[in-house]
Amino acid sequence: MKKTACILLSLSVLSVCFLLTACSKDNADNNPTTGMTRISEGYAAGAATKVEIYSKQSLVNTGYNKFYIALYDSVSGNRVEEAHIHLTPVMDMGMMQHNAPFENPVSETASGHLFPCSVTFVMPSGSGNWTLEIEVHNHVTGKEGTLVLPITVTDPVIPRQQSFTASHNGAKYFISLIEPSSPRVGINDLELAIYKKESMDNWPADSSLTITMIPEMPSMGHSSPNNVNPVHTGNGHYRGKVNFTMTGLWRLNLDFMSGTSVADTTQSFDVQF
Amino acid sequence: MKYSFLFLLLLAGLLTGAQSSSSMLSDDSTRSIELREIQVSTTARSDRQRMIQFYRGNQSAGIEDILARLPEITLIRRGTYGMEPAIRSLSGGQINVLLDGMRIHGACTDKMDPATIYIEPVNLDEVQLQTGTQGFLYGASIGGTVNLKTATVPCHNTRKINGSVSSGYQSAAKSFYESLQLRYSSGKFAIHSSVTWRNSEAYRSGGGQRIPFSQYQKVNYSTTASYQLNERTLLKADYIGDHGWNIGYPALPMDVGYAVARIGSLSLQQNKPGQRMYQWTTKIYANQVRHYMDDTHRPNVPMHMDMPGRSLTWGLYTEGLMKLTRQQQVRVIADFSSTRLKASMTMYENGQPPMYMLTWPDNRKDQGGIGMNWKWRADSNWTLQSVIRMDLISTALTSQEAKEHIRILGVNNAGRLELLKNISVTAVRKLYPWLQSSLSLAYAERMPTATELYGFYLFNAQDGYDYLGNPKLAPERSLQGEWSLQVQGKKIRIKTSLFYQHIRDFISGSIDPSFSTMTIGAHGVKKFSALPDAHLTGVEASLLFKPVAALDFISTLRYTRGEDHSGDPLPMIAPLKSTSTIRYQFSRFFLQAETEAATAQKKISNKYGEDKTPGYLLLHVRSGFSFQLAGKKTDLQYGIENLLDKNYHEHLDWGNVKRPGRNVYVLLRVKFG
Repeated sequence: MKKTACILLSLSVLSVCFLLTACSKDNADNNPTTGMTRISEGYAAGAATKVEIYSKQSLVNTGYNKFYIALYDSVSGNRVEEAHIHLTPVMDMGMMQHNAPFENPVSETASGHLFPCSVTFVMPSGSGNWTLEIEVHNHVTGKEGTLVLPITVTDPVIPRQQSFTASHNGAKYFISLIEPSSPRVGINDLELAIYKKESMDNWPADSSLTITMIPEMPSMGHSSPNNVNPVHTGNGHYRGKVNFTMTGLWRLNLDFMSGTSVADTTQSFDVQF
Repeated sequence: MKYSFLFLLLLAGLLTGAQSSSSMLSDDSTRSIELREIQVSTTARSDRQRMIQFYRGNQSAGIEDILARLPEITLIRRGTYGMEPAIRSLSGGQINVLLDGMRIHGACTDKMDPATIYIEPVNLDEVQLQTGTQGFLYGASIGGTVNLKTATVPCHNTRKINGSVSSGYQSAAKSFYESLQLRYSSGKFAIHSSVTWRNSEAYRSGGGQRIPFSQYQKVNYSTTASYQLNERTLLKADYIGDHGWNIGYPALPMDVGYAVARIGSLSLQQNKPGQRMYQWTTKIYANQVRHYMDDTHRPNVPMHMDMPGRSLTWGLYTEGLMKLTRQQQVRVIADFSSTRLKASMTMYENGQPPMYMLTWPDNRKDQGGIGMNWKWRADSNWTLQSVIRMDLISTALTSQEAKEHIRILGVNNAGRLELLKNISVTAVRKLYPWLQSSLSLAYAERMPTATELYGFYLFNAQDGYDYLGNPKLAPERSLQGEWSLQVQGKKIRIKTSLFYQHIRDFISGSIDPSFSTMTIGAHGVKKFSALPDAHLTGVEASLLFKPVAALDFISTLRYTRGEDHSGDPLPMIAPLKSTSTIRYQFSRFFLQAETEAATAQKKISNKYGEDKTPGYLLLHVRSGFSFQLAGKKTDLQYGIENLLDKNYHEHLDWGNVKRPGRNVYVLLRVKFG
């Protein structure tokens, strides 16, 4: 008797667990943007497509911003998961205009219902206005259209982007800190994106630099062991590892070399947690 | 095993010749230091009785003062309080410090709280010391075991409360000692409680200088209740609480805000439960230690720091003594214990988030073992003894946060599982009725400690390095031998022991330049690693001489040398030291004079930041008498320690902090009931 009750109880517990996990999975599938912030939205007129831009950050910051674009058929409201998207960020300062580095969605098929892409806003809004032009070629309907969304870019409390004029070639480089985005004690991914300013409207990704990164705790004067210098892994992204031995304010000191010549040794990023 | 046995026999035979005589079996390697005047005397313990006064220099002496008088023991001193015991220069994880067989792990990453500080001598019956070759019966160790045996309460049908009150004062630290003991027993039930309070200010060293941050305060209370279930079975419950606060550590950059230990156990003791079984004890226990380091009283602190730590241990053991035949007896023990440790550090800098890290990343050690001590009185001259122990030990990091910390050191899987093996054989030979020789050989292993495996930037104030653990450390292994000779006359007893230890995979900190220091001002980072080998050689001697009934003379001497694989001296090795006491007892009055002498230590470890220590000679005088005060038996003790006000420190004193100067003490004890 007791045994049967036990078995029944454990069976019911198991089934409840199963139902719960099943439900949560469904929810995640239904809503890929849970936990993200909708930065902006609008209609790409000629494409009959609604465009929504999401970010994992609540604000658009100076520096590298990863965006996730969701597309909907403006008539049926269905998701559009086959499309070609092209971005053009523009800074309008009245007297002049310039662009900024960006990464279009790599694939024309959505991944997890969304099109990941990025824009590196090289300065905050204020002395001018940022807009993001999005060209959408809806492969479901075959229609094309464009929309322009105003974007407000703010400087974060702790900068995530630095720039320098390289001493070996006089070119201007913009460095964004992508990872660690949520730092913790232990081994953290380190990711930087480096873009070179060729002209006002040409900001190609750079792959030519070698980086030495030394983390430091400024108030204590110590470093941490077993860090891995970031190396180029494609499209201007440099990946390595940074280790934090405790919480607090850390400074990632960066030296950039181009071959054997020094590009810059003055840059650093602060990370605080 | 067989071969080593034969080898042993052969060697012992060669060393001791082939003379014959008759004698009793003696437990040679265990020293039992009685602390309490025996109340029910069942066996003759005259020698031990005589030693009581010697080991308890004065009645308010703490455990550390008592241990310091054992020639086998040296104490590593970081403050007045919390000295770390070492047996023949081995300490920490190399030895076991047990309380009535229970394991207690200090909660301080800087070893400020060895288990010995949480006990008061009033709680204890005796201190049992077993050196290397037989010291692993209760746990894998290469250095031996100190077991502090707590008091047992005999059940009498007195139905009266009796006890004693003690009060003492010492001038060097203006310290007060107050202690109350109460006993009550009614038929099958008995209870014993004690409370001890100590309050000590910063003491003055020889020459009159005050040593800042050498104060401490503590309260210790204990209760033991026992119930006689039947003629042979006693159920016993023990609880000890110890609260220390404002404890200064002059040799360290931080003091201790508070240190609290709670120690509880329940045991079942059986006397002659079976025909062959002589004694059987089963105990289950748990204890918790919380320790909080504090730098708020220190001037010029570059950055305020909190360093809390805690340890939690529970375990059980069952131990029995069986008589196999008239000539053979065997003591067996099976035990399990589990210890959890966690310590962290938080530093504060204005305008920044707090800097927090784990110094002992959350970890657990589970240990289970079985041990056996087999003794065979082969004939009237020969006694053979063998101790065997096996331990299965597993250690693991228990939180994700802890694992992330250790991953930084390049170790992904920091868990360990080790089978440790310890074995020894001893042969004791009576050469003449007055001369006995014994020889022991042993192979021993010990597990690296939590600090050695998982320590995370632990600052060592002695050498000025930050220490990092190494989860891959191999167990330390030791081959050791001990030879002792004992002369027993009517009026004299002399014992000398010669020992040698060869330690493989000796765990020591090695400078690793690839790491940067964490502590402000540290010289560098040392990582625990295994030196190929190290060896220790030493000699101890003790002499008891009683020329006439009223006069006792006791003298001890020890000398140890230690070298690592490259021939450099090992750190924390005390120089030649000798303590001598002469005591004159006349009726209820006694007078005692002591000398304590150490030579200079010039064999120092530069790697460990040691410097040479000069020798010293101290003189102590003690006296006391018993009388009736309002019908109560009263003892008055008084004396002067360091009579010549010598300004000195011992070699094992961190930071060369001077020891107390001339100290006048007085202690009154009234017994009632």
